[in-house]
Amino acid sequence: MHAIKTVALTKHYGHHGLPVHLPFLGPAPQPIRALESLDIAVREGEIFGFLGPNGAGKSTTIRLLLGYLHPTAGEGRVLGLDSVRDSVAIRRRIGYLPGGIALYDSLTGERLLDYLAELSGRPPSRRAELCERLELSARTLGRLVRDYSRGMRQKIGIVQALQHEPELAILDEPTEGLDPLMQRAFYEILDKLKAEGRTIFFSSHVLSEVERVCDRVAIIRQGRLVALEEMAKLLARRKRNVEMRLEGSPPRLEGVTGVSGVVIADGRVTCRVEGDVRPFLAAISGAPIVDLTIEPAHLEEAFLEFYEEADPA
Amino acid sequence: MNGPLFRHTWRSQRLKLAVVSIALVVWGFLMPVVYAQFGSQFKTLMESGILPEQFARFGNGDVFSLPGSIALGFVHPIAIILTSVFAVGFSTSAVAGERQRGTLEVALARPISRPTLYLTLLVASFAFVAATIAALLAGSVTGSLFAGVIGELAVGSVPLLWLNGVLLFGSFAAIGLAASVSFDRFTPALGLTIGTVVVAYFLEILGSLWPDAEFLQPYSLFHYLKPKAVLTGAAAPFDFAILAVVIVVGMGWALAVFPRRDLAAPS
Repeated sequence: MHAIKTVALTKHYGHHGLPVHLPFLGPAPQPIRALESLDIAVREGEIFGFLGPNGAGKSTTIRLLLGYLHPTAGEGRVLGLDSVRDSVAIRRRIGYLPGGIALYDSLTGERLLDYLAELSGRPPSRRAELCERLELSARTLGRLVRDYSRGMRQKIGIVQALQHEPELAILDEPTEGLDPLMQRAFYEILDKLKAEGRTIFFSSHVLSEVERVCDRVAIIRQGRLVALEEMAKLLARRKRNVEMRLEGSPPRLEGVTGVSGVVIADGRVTCRVEGDVRPFLAAISGAPIVDLTIEPAHLEEAFLEFYEEADPA
Repeated sequence: MNGPLFRHTWRSQRLKLAVVSIALVVWGFLMPVVYAQFGSQFKTLMESGILPEQFARFGNGDVFSLPGSIALGFVHPIAIILTSVFAVGFSTSAVAGERQRGTLEVALARPISRPTLYLTLLVASFAFVAATIAALLAGSVTGSLFAGVIGELAVGSVPLLWLNGVLLFGSFAAIGLAASVSFDRFTPALGLTIGTVVVAYFLEILGSLWPDAEFLQPYSLFHYLKPKAVLTGAAAPFDFAILAVVIVVGMGWALAVFPRRDLAAPS
């Protein structure tokens, strides 16, 4: 069974925000195609990255899966349950961190976590461990939420999503506002959850963290799925940036399999190498190279390539 | 009904509830005292013909009798504004306000169905309204005791008057909550509900002061609040039924609309 599965999941908006269209408010706006026929399947026990820029449809997908939105077409299933009919049963088994989480400012951090645990109907058995890892002391939890910084609010958001040990955690941009140390602590928490066999659906536009933690990644753009790949395969497909410094004639790289973007200037050669490196190594053997740097391209570049390939323009 | 949500709602409103209740106790206390001190003088003034007789019918209240003075206290703008803090203010912000702030998102990430959330907030709204109306009546009974006119009050009718008041302001709460679940933002829900209360009040007062406009009164929910009639044993079940129907219609709208509507990300 998949932890999450969507089949042709589609969402179009097109109203004034009212449940019925009122003619005196003017003509109904043109529908916005927030999500078009999305097909993804998240395996149990994996960390699944859901990538895309702001407005790509990441949050819409999550809101459809949790029953906040009703699909225009298609269906979503979470832990084998229908996202429309069984949304309460789904929410009993998951933990959710909304993007840009808003909290009850008049409560203390501890009281807020108690309240949300009560609403969940499950004991907050993991809270102490999470608070310790995220450096939320008892003193901090005793303060009113309105006095918290953005990072502290985000930490509380992470704790409330995971404190009741959900089978599936849906995290919408979870590291927003966290400093690098806390981001690392958060990744360690994810590693531990994964080791326990829990599933994590992780939406982000920060590619480096997706590269760091995810097993598979789906890339979404303008409401459409652009790619769904194993992270390892995506990284293997990415190009390497090569820079050579030479004392003499540069090697002939034009036409070598996997080599592109060759630039020769001032005794330096830069190029990009994709796939098997042996043809490239054969081509440069014997060249008067005095320095050589081969650097794997960041996921950003692989990601941008997907976008360039899928760009209808 | 969801217990943790109800307790959280109650705790978050308790200070406001205490302040409003104390203000209503004081206001309710004043009415019998004013009647006891100045009732006969007002009656003489009215009988002299200096003031138009319609002034004696303001919202079906007067200061010439204890039931009339308590009725006047009920329909006076001060009492209506204080009671509306919960009947209108709380009910309209309960869903739309939380949506606008983004906190509804966190609550609805838990295993709570939208009908359960709505019904819990409706029960909370009614509890707040019931408490504020009880405070107003407690003030009136205490004021009657203090002024030595308690013998003129049919104390056995007070619970029925409480029910009449709860149904009126409960109907406003049901309208407010129905508006609250229908909008993404707080201000349209608040505007719609305040507009309903103000128009209803205007129609009732206009009809009570101007005989040619009496035909407008049945279109006002305030027309079905009859404190004087209730306290004099002339309560009409029809008045209670009309208010109950409005509450049921408000609930029906909310239960039909809220579970079916999209809750987009808070902006």
